[in-house]
Amino acid sequence: MTALSLPRRRARISGGDAGLGLLMALPIILLMGSLVFWPLVMTFWDSVHRVDPMRFGTPFVGLRNYLSLFSDSDVQSSAFNTIVYVVVAVVIETAGGVAAALLLNSLGRARKWVLAAVILPWALPPVVNSIIWLWIYNPSYGVLNGVLRALGVISQNHVWFNDRWSALLLIAVVHIWRMLPITAVIVLAGLQSIPQELYEAARIDGAGALSRFGRITLPLIGGSLAIAMTQSTVLAFNLFDEAWILNGSSGDTRTLLIQVYMSAFQDLHFSYGMALSVLVMFASLAVSLIYVIRGKAETSAE
Amino acid sequence: MKLRASLLAFSVLCSFAIPAAHADSAKPYAGQTISVLLPPWGTLPKAMTDSFTAETGIKIDMQTQGWDQIHAKILTAMIANNAPADVTEVDWSWVGQFGAAGWYVPLQGKVSADVVKDVASSKIFTTDGNLIAMPYNNDFRVLIVNKAMFDKAGITSLPTTMDELWNDAVALKKSGVTYPIALPLSANEGTSTAWYLMTKAFGGDLFDAQLKPEFTTPDSAGYKALDWIVKAVKAGLIDPASTGLTDVQVQAFLSGGQAAIDLAGWAGNLTVYNDPTKSKVAGHVEAVLMPSATGHSRSFGLPEALGIPANAAHKDAALAFIDWWMKPATQIEAYTALGDLPTSTAALSSLSAAGKIPSGDVLLKQIPTVEPLFAQGTPEWYPQFSAGVSSAINEAAKGQLTVAQAIAQIAAQAQKAKSQ
Repeated sequence: MTALSLPRRRARISGGDAGLGLLMALPIILLMGSLVFWPLVMTFWDSVHRVDPMRFGTPFVGLRNYLSLFSDSDVQSSAFNTIVYVVVAVVIETAGGVAAALLLNSLGRARKWVLAAVILPWALPPVVNSIIWLWIYNPSYGVLNGVLRALGVISQNHVWFNDRWSALLLIAVVHIWRMLPITAVIVLAGLQSIPQELYEAARIDGAGALSRFGRITLPLIGGSLAIAMTQSTVLAFNLFDEAWILNGSSGDTRTLLIQVYMSAFQDLHFSYGMALSVLVMFASLAVSLIYVIRGKAETSAE
Repeated sequence: MKLRASLLAFSVLCSFAIPAAHADSAKPYAGQTISVLLPPWGTLPKAMTDSFTAETGIKIDMQTQGWDQIHAKILTAMIANNAPADVTEVDWSWVGQFGAAGWYVPLQGKVSADVVKDVASSKIFTTDGNLIAMPYNNDFRVLIVNKAMFDKAGITSLPTTMDELWNDAVALKKSGVTYPIALPLSANEGTSTAWYLMTKAFGGDLFDAQLKPEFTTPDSAGYKALDWIVKAVKAGLIDPASTGLTDVQVQAFLSGGQAAIDLAGWAGNLTVYNDPTKSKVAGHVEAVLMPSATGHSRSFGLPEALGIPANAAHKDAALAFIDWWMKPATQIEAYTALGDLPTSTAALSSLSAAGKIPSGDVLLKQIPTVEPLFAQGTPEWYPQFSAGVSSAINEAAKGQLTVAQAIAQIAAQAQKAKSQ
């Protein structure tokens, strides 16, 4: 009797909980559904059709757009540039973000003021950031040339964007300058959740600073790092403003998102651009997934 | 008696009412406000728009954006089925795209046939029999030089061939002009159009009648033109920083007295270059017929026009605005204020006769040599092709591609653009 009634009661309670949970989650479900998932489904649907305002009809073309992307030299070149941006941005943002967070964490009362100053580049609109850096890099009157000449590093003004690698690096620097603060803030939140007793115990056991960082700090901020690296990766994949403002649509610094824009909004090949944007999304999600799985595994191990 | 008094009162009322009705029919769109989206050189001064408002009762909300941004705004707005404005810029290079998409109100039959005839370049804006915009800026390319700098360098005759142009640039550099030639080399439309002009200067064309590329072999004009540009950068005749500058930005080199030659000069810019409030070299700038390798000067037209989006809210008022701008008197005023060379033949003749066009004699000699870039009409794939052109030239000027590689890349872009 008990055995029969217990599951029924549990099911009733679970059903109530589930209903309440669903009700509370409904706003976010509706919001995400209408603003994220529905557009995503529509984008995928259009990417397997020919959507081009210059041509009549929208016939089904299957995976033709996707297959064409793999042999498109512009896509290959912009994919290469994007990978460079992602690698440079994620590595420097993560390393710099952790270093900045450790520094901020060690500050006392000054922390809130320093934090406000550090967060400023992130708070500025990306276009404003890029225009400021455009002036800094200007070959005629830019600060960068001025400083390097004053230091005797260069003898005459240099056109930084005439070299592909320096152009890629300088664009990545602008992106990093804007995004590093948010990585620092996320990691700082992780650092502040670590109990101080662990460090004290480690000190008593004779652990040095490096050992404490490697054995306590790093494992315990794994979750925060995964979040920070995920957002760094996704935002580096979506890099647009910096490359566009600093070097326009130039092929040597063009990103995948600029290529999407050019295909869809300049050439009017919408479905082609949509197919590319779907691929970019999956690529950034796939890379981010690695961090999330890795972060989850470390959290579980704890 | 009462009836007579009533009739009298009625007739008095009518005597006031009839002129009012006349006034309304003269200003049928009075009270409407139209939005007008144009680049800086199309943004009329307030005095002119006020005069239009006084004449028609239509108010103008003038919106100014960069040329490239206007293209992007029109595309995104039209795809979202929103009108970008009641009247917008329509560049010659967008005609194929906009015409194929059916985004603009056909103006044939709406704009007077006499006006269409007076504005000869209107045929460039006709696609599939539809006139989608009326040109307001008679832009074509011409060589513009700072004569004082030429004199200082001891150059007595102005260049007529590409070899002479090269030698003059070398002499100017020796005389102290660091980078004598102003030429845009960024990945923007102005870079592409400069190469098209130089291809004509070297005696060739981009495509044949079947739209097959004619620039791929080393002996072709397009190849020679790109080779000339790259060599000029390497020889220090063009500022290497031009790889990051648009056509508008490199024009500042000439107006600022840093360069002596605007190689792909805008005909209308002579007014700006000779305006002391906008130029440091006013009074020293003049036009020269575009040099050529064949002895026969050639140029091509890049007119800009006014069109009405198919989903505009105030189409009739917008049409009244276009009609007003097509009047010779309006175009003369716009030329004086902005340097937009009139598209109206009557306005152009009037200005020329009055000696109000700097280097007017040269411009009038160049005009008969002005050709459309595409005799068949601008194809819908032009923007995609042109973006590929500017990107390849940009990379060649930076030394990242050889001339042969850049030409091969441009040919591949042409093929890709046509096949998509």
